[in-house]
This record gives sequence, C-alpha cells and structure tokens, in this order.
Amino acid sequence: MTETLAPQAPRPGRARGRRWIPAAIAGVVALLIVVLVWNLFTGTLFFYNADEAIERRGELGDDRFTLQGTPVGCSIVEGSQGDEPVTAFTVSFGGALVDVVHRGEPAELFEGGTPVVLDGNWVNDAPGVVGFDGLADDGWYYSSDRMRVKHDNDYINDEEYEDRLEQAADAAASGDCAA
Amino acid sequence: MTAPAPAPSHTGSRTTRLLGIAVVVGVIALVLLGFFAAPEDDEQQDAVRMIFVHVPSALFTYIAFVTTAIGSVMWLLRRSVWWDTVAGAAAEIGVLFCGLTLFTGSVWGRPTWNTYWDWGDVRLVTTLILLLMMIGYLSVRSLGGDERATATRAAVIGVLAAVILPIVNRSVEWWENNTLHQKSSLTDGNLEDMTLFTIVVGLVVWGLFFAWSLIHRFRITWLERELRVSDLDLALRERRAEGHTEDGDS
Repeated sequence: MTETLAPQAPRPGRARGRRWIPAAIAGVVALLIVVLVWNLFTGTLFFYNADEAIERRGELGDDRFTLQGTPVGCSIVEGSQGDEPVTAFTVSFGGALVDVVHRGEPAELFEGGTPVVLDGNWVNDAPGVVGFDGLADDGWYYSSDRMRVKHDNDYINDEEYEDRLEQAADAAASGDCAA
Repeated sequence: MTAPAPAPSHTGSRTTRLLGIAVVVGVIALVLLGFFAAPEDDEQQDAVRMIFVHVPSALFTYIAFVTTAIGSVMWLLRRSVWWDTVAGAAAEIGVLFCGLTLFTGSVWGRPTWNTYWDWGDVRLVTTLILLLMMIGYLSVRSLGGDERATATRAAVIGVLAAVILPIVNRSVEWWENNTLHQKSSLTDGNLEDMTLFTIVVGLVVWGLFFAWSLIHRFRITWLERELRVSDLDLALRERRAEGHTEDGDS
C-alpha cells in the first residue's frame, strides 16, 4: 500500500479509460430510453376497436392500421381467396361488426370470443371467400396479414368449455350463426 | 455521513440460513403446486402456468425499485450510507427480477399473444425503459471517483425511476388501445382458487428470496466499503509511520 501513496507519474490509459465504461453504458442506456419513448409514441400497436374503425373508414382509406375486435365463433371459415388460403371471420366490438379476411396462419389461441389484434387495411369489396357470407356484409372487409390475440385476465378451468367450443364449431359448419 | 457500524465477518447468519432453507422449500412447493395442483386454463392450456413466475417477478420488481427509491431519498436527505447500500442492493435484485419478468412475459406471449414482443406495446416498452433506467443506475453506481458524488448521482436516477413505476403499473388501464397486455390478474382477474393460491405461494417465495438476497447483497456491499475504508486507514498509518522514520533518520 505504501508504494501507491508515494508520488508517482500519472498513468494515463487503461485504468483511467476503464472508468468511462460505466459512463458509456449509462450514456447508451439514456439514448436507448429516448429511442424507446419515441417508439412508444409512434408505435404501430395502437389499434382501433371495430366500431372506431368503421367510424373512421373514410379517413383511413386503404391505409394500413391495426384493428381490435372479438371474433364471432360461428362466423369463422377456413377457405381461399383466389388461390390463396385464408381464414375469414367477423369481429365485433361496441355493437359494430367487421368482416375480416386473414392471410397466413391464425394465432394458436384464435377462436370465437377471444379478442384479436390485426394488422391490415380496409378493402371496399366483398370478401370473395367461398362459404363466408360475413355477418357485417356491408360491402367492405378488412384484409389482415398479422394476428395477435388479446386474451383477458380470466384464468378458469370450465368443464363445459370443450362442449361450448364444439357447439360453436357445429353452428359454423351448419352456417347457423344464431345457434 | 453516518458512522459505519462494525462490519460482520461474513454474510451468513442464522436468519439468512433459515430464509435460504425456506426459499428452497418454497420453490419445491411452488413447482409441485404449479405443475400438478393448479388447473390448466380453458384457452391458454398449460401456458397459463407461467403466471406463477411472471406475476411474483413483476410485483417484486416494483417492491425492489421502490426500496431503491426510498434508499435514494434517505441518502439525499440524510446522507445515510446504510440506506445508500440498501438502495444499491435492492436495485441489483430488482434488475434481476425485471429481466425475469420481461423474459417470462415474452415466453408466455408467444403461444398466447402470437408474438414474443411488440415494440408499440405500452406495457412492454415502459417495463423495458424501467429496466434500462435501473441498469443505468447500477452503471452510475459503479463509476469510480468520489463515493459521495457517485451515490448522489445514482440516487437521483433511483428516484426518477420510481416516478415511472406507476406509469408501468397503470399503463394497461390508461392506454387500453395500446397494449396486448391484460389488466391485473390479481385485482381484476377471475382466477380458479388453486391458481390464486399458487400465485400467493409464489409471492411468498419471491418475498423470501428478495429478503434473503437483499440481506446478503447489503452485507457484501457493506463489507466491501469497510475494506476500502480500512485499507485507506492502514495506508495512511503506514505513510505516517514512514514519515516518522524519515524524521528520525534525518
């Protein structure tokens, strides 16, 4: 220890440089935080619920946006649009209905009654999916290519759940949404 | 600055050993309850079991960072080394828990949300910002130089990080249209009795682990500080003795 207290020549280089490593980390972290906050306010996840999306249909045009709604179980149809395999269904929110044509694999938890968040755009046309009439049937559909599931905070084990799923599947197969 | 108390010779004690045993027993109980007693969820099936790790990690992230904020305030107000040490120790554990929260959330999100991560999701991104702020806090703490100045700079960050805690926690309520994340499972959720019980067991286990690791990290940091102080005292004594010898020689 005595040697270290004796007058010494300054030691530029490694020891001094190392002290700046935490400072550099802190700087990078600060920069990352700024980028993340910016990303948060310009993020792509912000979604319109089905009723809001219909209300803003005019201003949205064919711009890409994110839509949230709850699939109506009996409306779900696996089919094709032209040559492309699609999943067609109707989502509801706030009493409004939107017909959706989703290209690509649906999410693992995709099913009637569990809200989905979709990326895509409005198309002013009939869905054109064989077997899918669409509950909205208003001359528009939402063309989606990315699906996420927004599940709720209910964690229950309902013994009749499988039965209810089967009933919904039967209703879809028979085309009877009232069931 | 508060006068340092006598340093312990090691970081273990009867209390920490009991806590450690309780943590091990608790983890075993949690694994058994989580995998075998708690029922699967209708929709999520077995993926729901991630909740037994995710929720306690998230809650104790908040508790750890609130502890850091309290310690930081006490340093700023009273220059209490004891509280500054508590703040640093809690931040280290909080960073661990926060990382675990993000990791388990991400793994849970893949089968349930259909994505590991979404950069536009307000809950995910604010949690990441919190983690980065606390990594920044630890980086500032490890800066060399004047210990008091370093502690003060770190304390300011510790307090600022606490300000965003309520934003992280309430984000799912305030920006409903900006998040995939469900609302609070504990306060608003509908849980099976055994699921709720297992979560509570998880919270107890995390609480015990937090206490155990906080005590050990505190003692380690305290001993390191004592060592630095005693090294400096020794060096000064040696230098003085050297000076006396030189005087005697001359």
